[in-house]
Amino acid sequence: MDFPERFDVIVIGGGHAGTEAAAAAARMGAKTLLLTQNIETIGQMSCNPAIGGIGKSHLVAEIDAMDGIMGRATDLAGIHFRVLNASKGPAVRATRAQADRALYKNAVRDILEHQPNLSLFQQSVVDLHVEGDTVVGCKTEMGLNFYATSVVLTTGTFLGGKIHIGHDQHAGGRAGDAPANALAERLRALPFRVGRLKTGTPPRIDGRSVNFNELEFQPGDDPRPVMSQLGRRDMHPRQVHCHITYTNEATHQLIRDNLSLSAMYSGNIEGVGPRYCPSIEDKVVRFADKPSHQIFIEPEGLNTTELYPNGISTSLPFSVQLQFVRSMVGFEQAHISRPGYAIEYDYFDPRDLQHTLETKALQGLFFAGQINGTTGYEEAGAQGLLAGINAACKAKGVTPWEPRRDEAYIGVMIDDLIHLGTTEPYRMFTSRAEFRLRLRQDNADQRLMPKGLALGVIGAERQAHYSAKMRALETTSKEMGATQIFPDSDMAKTLGLSLRREVTVKECLKRPEITAADIASVLGISNDEDMAYKALAQLEIETKYAGYIKRQEDEIEKIRRHESMQIPGSLDFLNIDGLSNELRQKLDHHRPDSLARAARIPGMTPAALSILLVHAKAKNAAVAS
Amino acid sequence: MTATDTDLICAIATPPGEGGIGVIRLSGPSAKRVAQSLISVEMKPRRAHYCQFTAEEEVLDDGLVLWFPAPHSFTGEDVVELQGHGGPVVQNEIIQVLCRHGARLARPGEFSERAFLNGKIDLVQAEAIADLISAKSRAAAKAAMSSFQGVFSAQVTALEDQLLGLRVAIEAAIDFPDEDIEILEQARVGDTLDVLITSTSALLVQAEQGRKLAQGITVALVGKPNVGKSSILNMLAGEDAAIVTDVPGTTRDLLKVDISVDGMPLQLVDTAGLRETQDTVEMIGVQRAREQMQRADHVILVVTAADVVANEAGFLANEDFEALLQRLALEAVPELGEVSAVNIHLLVNKVDLIDSKLRGSHPWPATYVSAKTGEGLAALTKKLVQLGSGGIEDTVFTARLRHVHALEKTRELLVQAKRGISSGIGAELVAEDCRMAHQVLGQIVGTVSPDDLLGEIFSSFCIGK
Repeated sequence: MDFPERFDVIVIGGGHAGTEAAAAAARMGAKTLLLTQNIETIGQMSCNPAIGGIGKSHLVAEIDAMDGIMGRATDLAGIHFRVLNASKGPAVRATRAQADRALYKNAVRDILEHQPNLSLFQQSVVDLHVEGDTVVGCKTEMGLNFYATSVVLTTGTFLGGKIHIGHDQHAGGRAGDAPANALAERLRALPFRVGRLKTGTPPRIDGRSVNFNELEFQPGDDPRPVMSQLGRRDMHPRQVHCHITYTNEATHQLIRDNLSLSAMYSGNIEGVGPRYCPSIEDKVVRFADKPSHQIFIEPEGLNTTELYPNGISTSLPFSVQLQFVRSMVGFEQAHISRPGYAIEYDYFDPRDLQHTLETKALQGLFFAGQINGTTGYEEAGAQGLLAGINAACKAKGVTPWEPRRDEAYIGVMIDDLIHLGTTEPYRMFTSRAEFRLRLRQDNADQRLMPKGLALGVIGAERQAHYSAKMRALETTSKEMGATQIFPDSDMAKTLGLSLRREVTVKECLKRPEITAADIASVLGISNDEDMAYKALAQLEIETKYAGYIKRQEDEIEKIRRHESMQIPGSLDFLNIDGLSNELRQKLDHHRPDSLARAARIPGMTPAALSILLVHAKAKNAAVAS
Repeated sequence: MTATDTDLICAIATPPGEGGIGVIRLSGPSAKRVAQSLISVEMKPRRAHYCQFTAEEEVLDDGLVLWFPAPHSFTGEDVVELQGHGGPVVQNEIIQVLCRHGARLARPGEFSERAFLNGKIDLVQAEAIADLISAKSRAAAKAAMSSFQGVFSAQVTALEDQLLGLRVAIEAAIDFPDEDIEILEQARVGDTLDVLITSTSALLVQAEQGRKLAQGITVALVGKPNVGKSSILNMLAGEDAAIVTDVPGTTRDLLKVDISVDGMPLQLVDTAGLRETQDTVEMIGVQRAREQMQRADHVILVVTAADVVANEAGFLANEDFEALLQRLALEAVPELGEVSAVNIHLLVNKVDLIDSKLRGSHPWPATYVSAKTGEGLAALTKKLVQLGSGGIEDTVFTARLRHVHALEKTRELLVQAKRGISSGIGAELVAEDCRMAHQVLGQIVGTVSPDDLLGEIFSSFCIGK
């Protein structure tokens, strides 16, 4: 049967991409349906119970700036917060939280259930309805048809999912959940390039069987950071410690002895795994001279004894898993509550997508999350946000959102994916962002909110908070530009300044040894959750980084000019005289659509770019005439 | 406005060498302002002004200056032409002054490129311009590289490797802070930066020294023994050409002579005497000669008129001339292996020894001389000038200058990074200076993408939970 109501946007999948997509579309006023196999697993953290980290918390901050879910849910579910890279500078500073899985899921579901314009429905999707080159809806297992202008597909690892433990393999989307095979088959018939990727998880351990007395512990940070701009410490639940153990020679020997039993080393897996998240088998083989690897033991939640030993993801048989786990200090008596496994799944080559995450082949169909070859909750959530916004834009017939590389990590990620594709699960790192000094957590709202407000994706509470922040910034900047510190004044003495003439506080912040915290303490602002305190911190960054930011802005300006120079799709890269064969092949592989993109291809030189520019311009002129 | 860069570029516009007039061209929005820093007259559009070119109260040259305001100029941008007295040293100084005031050296073909992008050249010429840029870039890169005897190229690559290594360590420390891997300590980053700064400085000193010679293109003379290579060398060096320096070869088997042909600098390399011994030193000599030949911009293959007669049958049987050239070169110096025929130029010596009938017909496209009688010297000189200028504005001289500028900028950024370490700024700023330095160095060796960097990180460190 046909469902009686028509939707603007249908989102298929209730993971981190799906929930952000559905919520964003609904916030924009689009009548939205979230279809999931199982409402109980909405917002499930399928891998490690942590949100954030380097590059990742930057994505969370951007989702948050667009009034998304992830940051808020983390502040409601985080049981251990840390600031990473505290000493390395504000741009690469990051927040990471261990989250209680149950609390996190509840928080996400609570936000969705209070979201106007959004309906949830539990059914597996088996087919898409396509008319010509346009997707118009989908069909569920029980034969129910839903229709909408835009359909966002966020199927994670469920498409053609296959789980490996040792030589055993079975179909599955996640331990305990069925894969979406009917849909995978249907999609394989559509004109998209499909590849296989793999990822893995470690065995989970019952905390009651662990000897914590033997383990190093790691407390959360004090002062404790928050994840969302709207977050406050008093929202956080009870905080707990993480623990650390290490593999040893005995562990490595066990793994080496049983390597042939590993799914990955016996040739059963065709998918490519992430280089930065190797299985324990990979670590032992590839870094054979390393006598020990650190294992970070994360709590799964406050009301469970289960632990997530991060660093030993494996596809060895259960019997070997048990042996090598028990070879580690503190784990001698460990009980494995869930075996580790490797999972292979389908992904679609993201080069078949547009900047909006709408597919090039089928109008109205958007892909977000692991289906595009990425990994990580944050990467998925960020894509979901963008796809959801653009799905709603499509339904409303308004200009979509296409953040640029110099505006947002989301822009970096989408640009990397759709132009370079990926050969391993794509994860965000700050080193991917050439303009990372601008792309900070603290200014994510300033970078993105004006756009978010124009799109209408930002709710009232967030809007009010933003206005207050901007007012505080303005006031602080003005006041600090006017407040003078005189030589030998009390203020100068407290700050340890020897001055020849008076300086303003703002000028004073340029000095490496003077921090915002120093100024705040002199001014008597003690609460670091205060707007005024945060404004001072940002003023410090802007003052200290002014020279670098200016330099990056010049670079961005140059790139923008290059970006406006479009390379016509019909240009035959393989037959451009004057370029080396290697560069021609690379250009043909990547098929850059602008000079700026071409410039990022490895091995590119200014001369090669000049040649390309001339050919592109000639081709453009020829096309126009 | 076009999509191109709108910074100010400058270059020497007249052919290389010691001509009567040397023109330096500036193009870009700030052309007038920057040119004005050298001269005291207020320029009027499209008027020739006679004036002195001065820097810091020192007169560098005098001549005419012309200002062509946009869009009525060759490039379509503001253009200023300084017409002085030529000579590489003076022109170089003026270029340096302009660069200090905000201009940068033009890339090969960049003036034409801008002219095209501003619609000053029509579409039909576009492909020709791309070809021009390509040819000039290749020639320039080769010229700049070869003039340091390959050392430059190897050292720039080594520098780039070191910088990549440092960036891998810094970026790994930033992106993977809680891995239990041995990440570079602040102090070791500082030490590595010191090493990099020293290497860059050493390279700059070399580059600067090399630049002063301004030796122009390199031409290798090859041929069988007794075809008269040395006589030809002497003929060139002894007649109206003057020996500038007489550098002993890198081995006793190579003789390098810097000569000036019609005011254009040129380095001749004589590979004579290669086959006389077979000892170890000789083997090294052969190896050097092979490198020299591959590095030389042009190879002049010397044969005798008798060879022409001997091979006449093959030639008349329509043997491909290029194949013939390669065969002859191989016969002359088998140790050298094959050389692309494009860069081989045939010189037929001892034309005085054959009968006048053949001399008149000159069956091969070659230069015919007699070192003994001096016959054909004018033709040879003309040929060398043609090879030397190659119709290109981009000589070793400016190509190398561009590399020197890239190296200077690299060093400046590395020094800034090092200062950052000392003053205790965040690693992200040190990383940013290193990224910029790498990008500038990439103008010489090609860019490196973030993904390459990540690849290095993953293969160097065991990363990942």
